[in-house]
Amino acid sequence: MQKILPKKDLPKFAESLIKKYQVIAPVKAPNTKFRKVNSFNEIYLDAVTQAPVKSRFIVENETLLEFKNGKTTESEGEIPKTILFGMRKCDLNAIQIMDKVMFDKQYINKRKNTILVGLFCENPDKFCFCNSMQLEDFYDIFLYPKGKNFIISVGSKKGEALVKNLPTLEKEIKIPNPKNYKKLENLEIAENYRSKIWESDANKCLSCSACTVYCPTCNCFDMKDELDTDLKSGTRKRFQASCMLKSFSTVAGGKSYRDSRLSRFKHFVYHKVSYFKKTHNRPMCVGCGRCLRVCPAKIDWVETINKLSKSKS
Amino acid sequence: MSYQPIPHKIISIKNYTPDVKLFKIKCSTNPAPGTFVEVSVPGIGECPLASCSHDKNYLELLTRNAGNVTSKMFNLKKNDSIFIRGPFGKGFPIEDLKNKNLILIAGGTGIAPITSMINYIEQNKSQFKKIFIYFGFRDEKNILLAERIKKWEKEFELHIGLSNDPNSHEYEKGFINEIMEKHKPTTKDTIALLCGPEAMMDCATEELRKLGIKNSQIYWSLERRMECAFGSCGRCQIQDLYVCKDGPIFRYDKIKSRLDNENSSNKKK
Repeated sequence: MQKILPKKDLPKFAESLIKKYQVIAPVKAPNTKFRKVNSFNEIYLDAVTQAPVKSRFIVENETLLEFKNGKTTESEGEIPKTILFGMRKCDLNAIQIMDKVMFDKQYINKRKNTILVGLFCENPDKFCFCNSMQLEDFYDIFLYPKGKNFIISVGSKKGEALVKNLPTLEKEIKIPNPKNYKKLENLEIAENYRSKIWESDANKCLSCSACTVYCPTCNCFDMKDELDTDLKSGTRKRFQASCMLKSFSTVAGGKSYRDSRLSRFKHFVYHKVSYFKKTHNRPMCVGCGRCLRVCPAKIDWVETINKLSKSKS
Repeated sequence: MSYQPIPHKIISIKNYTPDVKLFKIKCSTNPAPGTFVEVSVPGIGECPLASCSHDKNYLELLTRNAGNVTSKMFNLKKNDSIFIRGPFGKGFPIEDLKNKNLILIAGGTGIAPITSMINYIEQNKSQFKKIFIYFGFRDEKNILLAERIKKWEKEFELHIGLSNDPNSHEYEKGFINEIMEKHKPTTKDTIALLCGPEAMMDCATEELRKLGIKNSQIYWSLERRMECAFGSCGRCQIQDLYVCKDGPIFRYDKIKSRLDNENSSNKKK
């Protein structure tokens, strides 16, 4: 089903959502990111956000477990009814992928209370390559600007309830893919694991882990205990972890199973492009380009893979 | 999936070496041989430990004092509670082992999951043919579960190799592959189960291959860092496989190329 919303009514539509729900939307200050907004004026829709939305679901420092007097209580991880507003196709697909790898109730309960409001991406930049990554249509509602209107595609019952008062479009239109200036030419890189081509990127890598922090599908985490001052009660908390760090795969006794930057860099790229595809039939990467945008060493693994496929043919 | 650990009472603690203890815990979950549990000490953290028993009344954990959690575990006493989550993972493929000769190989604390398998074999002797056991330890002082080994020596063909103990009168000196070469197992209709440091499993596997056993007849039990234990946190990944949910027991032919790939880009030792 598709609905119509005049463009000039978008602020009114957003305000009506803000009244009823907690609305998380892209804001500009100081780096573009998703944050709770109190009015439509705060929302910034003119670029892909620098930070992804994942921290709404995999919350840094989130309490998973409390222990007191020899008893443990697990947290429920609930959030108020929330709308994620202005999600681009890459952001939406990242949530869809996250749903396949997060199995704990802290995540599931948060997702249950979330409605995804997508927005067509009109401003991809030179780093975006989402069309190479087998993205799917995944949203509760999705806004596509056409002329003076937004065409709103409805993807679920939850979404339908939001737009039930809007007029229905009689003849549905097909929503195109966003424009891309970059392309990942080859997803089949399994055979190239030992290629020397990875070494130049790995040599540049600073192991700063920015790529994994900004990746919308990097869900890996660590659990740490914090003791209260009575030394008896405390909490077990979740923190983001990064496969780009040596400590990520270190076991008791000190052995690290990925002890070189080369092996860690390859693990990141292969997990995003190849490993996840083996088990889930689609790459884990959504082509948002955030890892390329934030890399202080300007590593462009997409180009490296493209070179790989050229050298093969 | 839940992060909630359940308190269990410690029935007894036995010291084997200054840094290895066997915790016997009242527990009715009876993990399948080869699986593991997440053990918590609240305020310190959680660590994965292989189940060392197969019994519906208790759970044994053979624990080396190697990290934050295990070092705190070493302060616990009889009747204290210990927090446990699990069991997790896929254990030894019991159905595929039935009516086969088995070779069980373990080094050091790698004896833990192998012990859970031996317990299962003792309870279901008729399901298996001949059992060969090879254990490797550093020296006589570091032999673990010595009293059980004495008992198993009578029931199964069991050989022990001490890698660094020239003065031992009771046991042979040598790495596990050398011991296997000296006391060859049956290789027809045989499956080998291994647990220990990867370098040791490499040597033992090479010896098994020399004896004519195929990669598809060999199973490795692997160690990785497992935080969530249900395939979410990503810590234990070996390429596309998660040790926590796809393992920790892997058929060697399925894991070999993945391990080789990862090692190829690690630092050269």
